[in-house]
Amino acid sequence: MIRALLLLLTLAATPAAAEVISSAPDKVAVTIYRDPQRSVGEEMDLGSLGSFALIAETRTIVLPPGVVTIRFEGVAGGIIPQSAILFGGDIREKNRDAALLSQKGLVDAFTGQRILLRRIDPATGQSAVESATIRSGVSGIVIQSPRGVEAVYCSGLNQTLLYPDVPRTLSAKPVLSMQTRDQPGGRAAITLAYLASNFDWDATYIGTLSPDAKSLNLFAWLTMASGDETSFPDATAAAVAGKVNRNERTRDGEALNVRVEAARFSPRWNCWPQGTTSDAYAPPPPPAAMMMDVDYMSAGAEIVVTGRRRQTTNEAAMPVAVVTATSEALGDLKLYRIPVPVTVAAQSQKQVAFLQKSRIKGRLVYRSTAYRNSVEEPAMLFRFKNSKRNGAGDALPAGKVAMFQPLNGERMLVGEGDMADKTVDEEVDVIFGQSANVTIETDEHNPDGEDWEEIKLTVRNANPEPVNYEVEFRDDPDYRISKSNAKLIQRPGKRVWAAKVPANGEATLVYRTADIEIATEYEDENAAR
Amino acid sequence: MLRFACLLLYSSAAIAQTSQGDVAVTIYNNNQALVQDVRQVALPVGHSRQEFPDVSASIRPETVTLSGDGFGIVEQNFDYDLLSPAALMQKAVGQTVTLLRTNTATGVETRERAKVLAVNGGAVLEIGNRIEVLRDDGLPVRVIFDSIPPNLRARPTLSVTVESTRAGARPLTLSYLTPNIGWKSDYVALFDENAGKIDVQGWITLSNSTGTTFNNARALLVAGNVGNVQQYENIYRGRGTRPRGNQMGTETGTRERVGDFYVYPIEGRTTIANAQTKQVSFLDVSGSPARKGYEFKNGWLATTDEGESASSILKFSNARARGLGEALPAGTVRVYMRDSRGQAQFIGESAIPHTPGGSQLALKTGEAFDVKVQPVLVKREEVTQQVWRSYESWRVTVRNGQETESYTVGGYTVPDTFYRTQMRYIVTNAKPVPVTVDVIQTGLSRYWWWRDVRVGDESIPGIQDGWDERRWDVPVPANGKTELTVTFITPW
Repeated sequence: MIRALLLLLTLAATPAAAEVISSAPDKVAVTIYRDPQRSVGEEMDLGSLGSFALIAETRTIVLPPGVVTIRFEGVAGGIIPQSAILFGGDIREKNRDAALLSQKGLVDAFTGQRILLRRIDPATGQSAVESATIRSGVSGIVIQSPRGVEAVYCSGLNQTLLYPDVPRTLSAKPVLSMQTRDQPGGRAAITLAYLASNFDWDATYIGTLSPDAKSLNLFAWLTMASGDETSFPDATAAAVAGKVNRNERTRDGEALNVRVEAARFSPRWNCWPQGTTSDAYAPPPPPAAMMMDVDYMSAGAEIVVTGRRRQTTNEAAMPVAVVTATSEALGDLKLYRIPVPVTVAAQSQKQVAFLQKSRIKGRLVYRSTAYRNSVEEPAMLFRFKNSKRNGAGDALPAGKVAMFQPLNGERMLVGEGDMADKTVDEEVDVIFGQSANVTIETDEHNPDGEDWEEIKLTVRNANPEPVNYEVEFRDDPDYRISKSNAKLIQRPGKRVWAAKVPANGEATLVYRTADIEIATEYEDENAAR
Repeated sequence: MLRFACLLLYSSAAIAQTSQGDVAVTIYNNNQALVQDVRQVALPVGHSRQEFPDVSASIRPETVTLSGDGFGIVEQNFDYDLLSPAALMQKAVGQTVTLLRTNTATGVETRERAKVLAVNGGAVLEIGNRIEVLRDDGLPVRVIFDSIPPNLRARPTLSVTVESTRAGARPLTLSYLTPNIGWKSDYVALFDENAGKIDVQGWITLSNSTGTTFNNARALLVAGNVGNVQQYENIYRGRGTRPRGNQMGTETGTRERVGDFYVYPIEGRTTIANAQTKQVSFLDVSGSPARKGYEFKNGWLATTDEGESASSILKFSNARARGLGEALPAGTVRVYMRDSRGQAQFIGESAIPHTPGGSQLALKTGEAFDVKVQPVLVKREEVTQQVWRSYESWRVTVRNGQETESYTVGGYTVPDTFYRTQMRYIVTNAKPVPVTVDVIQTGLSRYWWWRDVRVGDESIPGIQDGWDERRWDVPVPANGKTELTVTFITPW
């Protein structure tokens, strides 16, 4: 009886007007952008990736003549609808319908309409149906039947609503469709391009210092992550380095938000209070989708940790990549393209090499930064000029660095750090750790000065070989170094004391700082030149 | 049976059915629309109450006007007491309902009449001569109400009581404002750097979250923030955050206008579904001249220990003579460039405000990987007022040459000590082509009183862009470096 009734209703559904469904792309190109908000040392959050991708899909469609609506299926779940553009078609309007097929969607669509109410007898297991009309679905569901008015889900009985069909206005996912102008019809190759959220990528460098620490082998992974539900097989994958400007308004109408919204409904909310008089209105439970998110986030975090541990400790040898992403300039950005088709799978991460340089010439430096009388513990860094002559000379996108050095033929991890975007010919300091063997001590040497403070800095080297040590005083509008017992080198934005600390030895610097407000020595100078 | 089926059949098709009449929607940028709905309504003579279902679920009832022939309005009501299980129970206090219990062992149903005494927390019922709290035992109970209280509705409903002088059907025009429907623009700009050209497509993006579908409507979009200024979140308020080179134009667009606002009609009739985002093309221009620029803005006394990327700026005009020739309603411009394989790749996006025709636009698309600026504070020292006075001849005036305020005119005390600040800006270019970077130093005026900037020395002649900012157009050779040095004398 139910089936007969429902069948009758299904037949009654009117067929769609001139509509063509493009179910899947023939070819896809995915270009992933790095999250401009995420700092260099910050991990990608696989549970909720903060950046986006440009997805360009080549599709073949066969159109009947006239005005046709093309419905695109198989697009990314995180599509940002207003960014969709079509190459190769004459489009009058684009629509993104986000009325989703969910319990909320059904109740809304059938408010005021007849549905069937099915009840299972708790004793016999027999089901019984009766016809009813949904009167309201605003918060909780109220129906009316010949018996009277009832709130369906407040009785504690096993009851449910049966709907005769799926309203044509509701869809499983947000639907992107485009309406053509009047056109002659035929076969057409089109490219649909759009931005989609929930993607990100990262650069990870693996450096291997030579035993004498005078050169560096540098290998870099391009790690692409997709948090999208759609897989893109055999895609042309690329990543863009550099910061692109984004507009907050693009977040409006993101497909993912729409779906979270649609899930935010439970017919059992807003029942009258049940049980005792002291029960307050039960707060609505968190929506199911959000709970899933939380689980996934913690799972995701674990995956990251395991992956990194393997990368930094278990790999005995420097990886040798047979496929390396190629680099090109894209306006003022850098585009890295994987030269072979790859699958950008749903909720996954993929690594491809993008840089392999051997024997980059440079030197190991122990460096402290200083502000007035406080000097930081020295960090170890490898410094090189990013030029062809030194064996480097390619753009280096920001990323984390893991530094290794062979010891008795084994690769040992010597430290980890990160690196900002560095272009060709820039000086690069790859900071990778704190030193245990090079230590500093400061002493307020002579506190008698009226308008200055004198500090003695001692550097001690416990290594059996001499080391390069530097202390940097950044130029500051409030104070200056008024005197020092050794020459300070002026570098852009800072003054530097560079010393060679002998093996198992020490070096000292005595300097004075003075506030700029009390400086008077320039007063008499004749400034009008 | 047949009748039931027909009824159901009718109801299934009725999903698209609506009580709306001939609908015209005028949509403004500020998330608001004016709806005009002309419905055929049969009015009896004298007092009658007319309900208007299917108005926007977000209607602003105080803006409703109803007009037509031969009647006057007695009162307008907007009922928003919504029909929910909890409201149903609240309204049943003092009334009698039917309880239907099912024996969980035998399946036998028993009926009882119960009076609802109170709903404070749980529902307290009087059944015969006993008092009971509904479902306190956790067992299933169906509560059946005799009817729906008159003021509870599934959706907020507008009703108007009219006094008609004659009977009969006539068109009534209902008009009202509703929030939650609005539009903005989305632009696709395809930039060809080598040719120095840009192709621009403009789309109107209309989104409806009123909770109501407007069927087969005439739609008109008005560009501009009509009234309701406070509601509008002005994202362009921080003018200083936009790059230099934006200048509003004076050309009148080709569009129809309402007052100061441009109007964009959507051709034909269209259905604006609830939860729908609709985009309609309004601009498609190719080959308009465009060029790229670089800008670096430095805060007062800011100094860095390594180079920082300059902003990449896309510059073009929407003047008629340069191809675009159209006012651009507020929205987002997304910029694309073709890669070496010819595929369009996204290179950044930027918001624009309402932009009249003939304007100059400068949009930040991102930060240049290869073009960097390192501002360095070389020297900062205290100088006397005499030293400062000796720099009289380097006093900077704003570009139009008008000096409205200075230390002598304003009557403010001239400080005794001044500061001489020497800055160096190291501009590097790793691109194989020469570039020009606009280096801008800000912070050259203070509050309302200090308008006397003195620039003692600069290696490239600067241009004063207002009191606060000074700019140098720094040419940098391919794969090269240029250093700019500037000395400022200021009282801070």
